[in-house]
Amino acid sequence: MSVHNGNAFRAAAFYDLDGTLVDVNLLHVTAYMLANVAQWKGRFGNLAALALSLPRLYAAERHDRRLLNVAMFAIFKGISRDRLLVLGEEYCERVLMHHFYSQAVDLLEGNRAAGLEPVLVTGSPDFVVAALARRLGVQTFAANRLAFRSNIASGRLREPIIAGEEKARWCEEYAARKGLRLRDCWGYADSYYDLPFLTALGHPVAVNPDRRLLATARDRQWPILRFDPVRAAAIARANDGES
Amino acid sequence: MAQAERKLKELKTAQLRHEVGARRDLVVTLNTRSQPRLIAYGDDFLLAKLPPGTRVVYPPPPLEPLPDPDVAIRYALLHPENADPLFAQLNPNMRVTIAIDDISLPLPPMQRPDLRERMLNVVLQMLADYGVDDVHLIIATSLHRRMTEDEIRRMVGERAFKAYWPDRLYNFDAENRAEVVMLGKTDHGEEVWLSKRAAESDLLIYLNINLVPMDGGHKSVAVGLAPYQSLRHHHNPATLRDSHSYMDPTRSGLHRTADRMGKVVNRSVNVFTIETAINNRMYGGLLDFLHKNEDRFSDWDRARLGAFKWTLRNLSDGLRREMLRRYAAPYGMTGVWAGETEAVHAKALARVFQQYAVPVKGQSDILIVGVPYICPYNVNSIMNPVLVQCTGLGYLFNMYRNKPLVRAGGTLIICHPLRDEFHPEHHPSYVEFFHRCLAETNDSMELEKSFEAEFARNPTYIHMYRYGNAYHGVHPFYMWYWGEPGRQHVGRIIAAGCEEPEVAARMGWEAADTLDQAIAMATSELGRSASITYLHLPPLVIADVE
Repeated sequence: MSVHNGNAFRAAAFYDLDGTLVDVNLLHVTAYMLANVAQWKGRFGNLAALALSLPRLYAAERHDRRLLNVAMFAIFKGISRDRLLVLGEEYCERVLMHHFYSQAVDLLEGNRAAGLEPVLVTGSPDFVVAALARRLGVQTFAANRLAFRSNIASGRLREPIIAGEEKARWCEEYAARKGLRLRDCWGYADSYYDLPFLTALGHPVAVNPDRRLLATARDRQWPILRFDPVRAAAIARANDGES
Repeated sequence: MAQAERKLKELKTAQLRHEVGARRDLVVTLNTRSQPRLIAYGDDFLLAKLPPGTRVVYPPPPLEPLPDPDVAIRYALLHPENADPLFAQLNPNMRVTIAIDDISLPLPPMQRPDLRERMLNVVLQMLADYGVDDVHLIIATSLHRRMTEDEIRRMVGERAFKAYWPDRLYNFDAENRAEVVMLGKTDHGEEVWLSKRAAESDLLIYLNINLVPMDGGHKSVAVGLAPYQSLRHHHNPATLRDSHSYMDPTRSGLHRTADRMGKVVNRSVNVFTIETAINNRMYGGLLDFLHKNEDRFSDWDRARLGAFKWTLRNLSDGLRREMLRRYAAPYGMTGVWAGETEAVHAKALARVFQQYAVPVKGQSDILIVGVPYICPYNVNSIMNPVLVQCTGLGYLFNMYRNKPLVRAGGTLIICHPLRDEFHPEHHPSYVEFFHRCLAETNDSMELEKSFEAEFARNPTYIHMYRYGNAYHGVHPFYMWYWGEPGRQHVGRIIAAGCEEPEVAARMGWEAADTLDQAIAMATSELGRSASITYLHLPPLVIADVE
C-alpha cells in the first residue's frame, strides 16, 4: 500500500498526460526526439520522414488511438536505449516542465493531500514519463514501452499498448492489486478516446476536453476543468493585487 | 429653498403608501365558482383548480418606488445612521474597498440600471471628488460561483466596469489563502475570517440589495466576504434547525451567529453599510397579470395568460429556459439607508416587511407551494433537484413569521417537474452530492459528519470554483441544510407534477403525477376536512401567522 505523509492513500487519481496535464502532445515529443537524436544531416532526414508520415498518422488518429501509437513509435526504430533515456530526461527538463499547467500542479498536490495517490496513465513513451514522474514525485505510471533488441529500438510497442480501453483495463488491474475501489478513484483526461478510461472510474473529470468529450461530459454531468494559463495568470495577478 | 433641497426634505419624510384598498383581500378562501389558480412549476406555470375551502395567500401589491433613486442615495450618504457622512470619512491617502452583493439577488435580475450600478456611480464619484485613488471593488460571492465578465458588466454598469475591471474589480476568492485573514473569535468560539483586502482597508463600504428580510445586516460582510472557515459556524444543520424562520432575523439562529461574527468584523474594520429595499414588482408590462388574483382577471389578462402558456408550451426546453433567463424585472427602489450596520439594517428591515408581510390566521394541514424556474443559486443556470429542495423546503416554507403556514406534522406539496438535471460547470459537486451522498443518507447531521469536509477540500471542485464558474464543493450541503427546519417540521413532502419519481425518492419525498393526485394523497391521510393553504407566487409574500 502506498503512503503519503504516513497515511495510506484511500484511492487513486489517474491522470492522462498529453493535453491534460501538459499542453503538448505525442507528436511534439516525437518531433523533439527526432530533431535531437542524430547529427544535423540525420535530423533533417528524420524530420522530413516525420513530415511525410503525417497523413498516415492523421488517418491513424482518426481511426484508432492505438494505431496512432503504433505508427508513431515505429519512427523510433534504430535509436539506442541509452540515447532515448538521455533525450527523455532532456525533453522533460527543457520542454515538458515548461508546458505543465500550473493549475495541474495544484490539482495533483491537492488530490495527493486529500488522500488520492497520483498515477499517470498515458500513451506517451516511458522514457519521457519516467523522468516526469520522478520530478512530480509520482511513484506509479503506465506508459507505452518500446521493444528493444540489443538495446536498439525495434520500432514495435510492447503490450499492453496504453490507449483507449487498455487504459481502463490497466486501472482496473492496478486498483485490484492495491485493494482500491474504482468507484472511489478519480480520472482526468482530455480526449474522447479516453472515454473508456473515464467511464471505468467513479469520478471522471474532463480536462480541456475536445469537442466530443465536452459534449459527453455535459451529457453525463461530469465536472469539466479548464487549465487556461492566461486566465490563471490573470486571476493570480488579481489575487496578488488583493493581497 | 432650492428645488434640490426641497426634494431631499420630501424624501426624508415621505411615507410610502399603497393605493387605497390595495391590501384588502390578500387572503382568499376559494369556493366552487373560483377560477383555477396559477402555480409556478419550474419553467412553466400550472393552472389548477384547487379544492373549495382552500386558502390562498396573495402578495401585497408593490410599494411605490422612490421617484429619484440617485437623489435618495446621495441623501442617504449625506445623512447616515449612527455614522459620519461618507464624505467626512474620506481622505486622499486612504485605502477603500467596496463590496457588492452578487448575482444571487434580486430575482429575477433587475432591469438596467441595476441598483448596484446606481450606488456605485454615486459612491465612486464621491471618492474621486475627495481624491481617494486606492479603491477596490469586490463582488461578495463567498462560496457562490464567480460571476462572469458579462454578468459583472451588466451589474455594475459600463462606467465602473471600464474603470476598474479586471485589476480592481473582481470576484472574492475564498480559496486563495493569501486573500483571507482571521480577525478573531466570537464569545461562542466561532472563527471570524474575512477578505484580507477588506480587513486591511481604512474603510469598507458594502452595497446591498434587500430582496427579502433574510438579506443584509451583518450577514452581508460576515458572510459575503468570508471563506468556508467562517461559514461552517452558521451554515450547519444544528444552527439552521434553530431558525424560525430565516425571514424573521429575531428568531433565526443563522442571523444570531452572523450578528455575533459581524460584530467582531465591525470592531476590526470601519464598515459603512448602504442598504436598499426594493418593491415586489417582479413582473411588469405584458406579464403583470402574474401578480393578480385570478378571480379578477380581465379578458385581456386571460388572453395574455393563454398566449404566455402557449409560448412556454411550444418552445423547446433550451429556448424556454433562455427566454425566462433573459427576463429582467422592473423592480423599484423603496428605500435606501447608509451608515452603521445595525441601525441601517433595522430601517431597511421595516421597509421590507412593509412590502411583504400579510397577516394570516392560523396554520393549515397542507401547504402548497410552486417552485419557479429561478432561485438565488441558478441565475443563468439550471434548477437542479437539490436547489428545488432548497427553494421549496428552504425558502418557500420559511416565508413566515411567528409560525409556519403548515402545522407541525402537516404535508407540504411542492409543485415542480423535478428532473435529474444539473449544470456541470456551475454545480459540479451537486451531481456527486445527489447521486452519491443522498443515495446513502438524507439525514443532514449524517451528511455533515460523513461527507462535508471531503467536499469542502476536494481539489477538483476547488479548482472549478476558483478558475471556472462553479459553486464551491461544499455548497450543495448548505442547500440541503437549508431545508432542515422544514424537514424537521412537516410530516410529509409530496412533489406534485413530478416527472422522475426516483428523484423525489432520493430526497425522501413522495411523487405525484399531478397536483390533484398530490392533494388526494395528502387528504387520504388527513381526511377531507384537512385545511389547505396555497402560497401564491410570484411575487414573494411573507405570512404573519397568528
